[in-house]
Amino acid sequence: MKLIVAHTKMELATLVRNYEQLLLILVIPVGILVFFGSVDVLPDTVTLTRLVSSVLTLSIMSTAMVSTGIATGFERSYHVLKRLGATPLGRSRLIIAKATSVAIIEVVQIVLLVAIASSMGWSIANVTWWKLLFAILLGTAAFSGIGLALAGRLRAEANLAAQNGLYLALLAVGGIIVPIDELPDAMGVVARLLPSAALAESMHISLGGMTSDAWFSYASGSGVWLDLFGWAVVAPLVAARLFRFDG
Amino acid sequence: MSTLFVVNPTSTSTALEVRGLVIAYGDITAVDSVSFDARHGEVTAILGRNGAGKTSTIESCEGLRRPTSGSLRVLGRDVTAMDGALRSRIGVMLQDGGIAPSARVLPLVRHYCRLYDRGVDAHDLVTRVGLQHRTSSTWRRLSGGERQRFSLALALAARPEIAFLDEPTAGVDLDGRETVREIISDLTKSGCCVILATHDLDEAERVADHAVVLHHGKVVIDDSVARLCTPSRRLEDVVREATR
Repeated sequence: MKLIVAHTKMELATLVRNYEQLLLILVIPVGILVFFGSVDVLPDTVTLTRLVSSVLTLSIMSTAMVSTGIATGFERSYHVLKRLGATPLGRSRLIIAKATSVAIIEVVQIVLLVAIASSMGWSIANVTWWKLLFAILLGTAAFSGIGLALAGRLRAEANLAAQNGLYLALLAVGGIIVPIDELPDAMGVVARLLPSAALAESMHISLGGMTSDAWFSYASGSGVWLDLFGWAVVAPLVAARLFRFDG
Repeated sequence: MSTLFVVNPTSTSTALEVRGLVIAYGDITAVDSVSFDARHGEVTAILGRNGAGKTSTIESCEGLRRPTSGSLRVLGRDVTAMDGALRSRIGVMLQDGGIAPSARVLPLVRHYCRLYDRGVDAHDLVTRVGLQHRTSSTWRRLSGGERQRFSLALALAARPEIAFLDEPTAGVDLDGRETVREIISDLTKSGCCVILATHDLDEAERVADHAVVLHHGKVVIDDSVARLCTPSRRLEDVVREATR
């Protein structure tokens, strides 16, 4: 336990010194929430609850997939993971420490974003907390799996490009900012299969929003959870299969 | 002697036992039925040309690479059952460092001292490897020799009973080499078993008690340096002949 705590602190200290990572996991989600919450540029169907659920989805995707994936990819290429694997920490405790640091960052993100949203007039009165926790856990597992699958197999530079490209693609057409109801039909069908759309919608439901039409006809409305659960199971399995500690 | 090093100065028992080690990568057999022993209080040099199987052999002994077959016992325990308790007694210096370019000297050494939890003081360790003036420098700002000594410091954080040092003097200047030599000497005086992989045969001749020479993955020499070398026959000549 002492080793896990020590290495979790080291992971967090490394993150705090990395300004690009802070931009990704804090500045961008906060910026999007404040900008789109203050300026009337989104369709009328995008309520503040929808915006909060989208920004929470973005923050989890940023931390669990992009930030963790990029950092892990570079650590692998510099043989840092291999070196740490030879210490008493070992590989299993290294993974636990990384997961713990992701969880701590997510808690900070969520508390900060909910506080800002509340100051903008959004209410937590309709939040179903157990559903929110469930959505966060499933989303974290899904996006960590995707991030580590890429980080564990690609060269560091290719991984960097892939993580950033995926982030932008999911942000644009993954049902995060623009609800899939608003996307063209064909794009909406594809978006519904993506983990970002499933997480955004499950967040929206958890925060007290109505299930959108695009999901309502899908597996009697529970499709969003099935979709997210599927990603949460499959992505980590794929990562475990593909991941190599040594670059 | 520095308190950075402990074990049992009188022990000369076997610290590493390699038997019939085979490491294959697909169709290529990198290490082929390698067997040798290494003892406490001695430096065993693993020598050979590029691709001879030195790093693969050492990484298997460190528990970082699963052997295809054979048995490996480190400090009396099977490497395949490597756990945190065994790892805490093993010092590892990787050929490729294993340090992120943004890592600073003292914070990372302090972190490794915490991970190994062997009572080593990070300041003492940084001073011992001659990096006391570079404590807040990042790895990317260090010279090649300073990077090697940074990596060596991480290995010493284990206060090791067996230390695997892969190319510890590569790119190190004359003063740095002297520091590395002194550290290796202190390690062996304390009873530590040092496994040294190097291409620098002059260095190996100076510090090693025992030499294991690999060629195309096989052991071609396994003998004491004192027996292999004479005033007219350097270790370099011996290795060159054996690996021709």
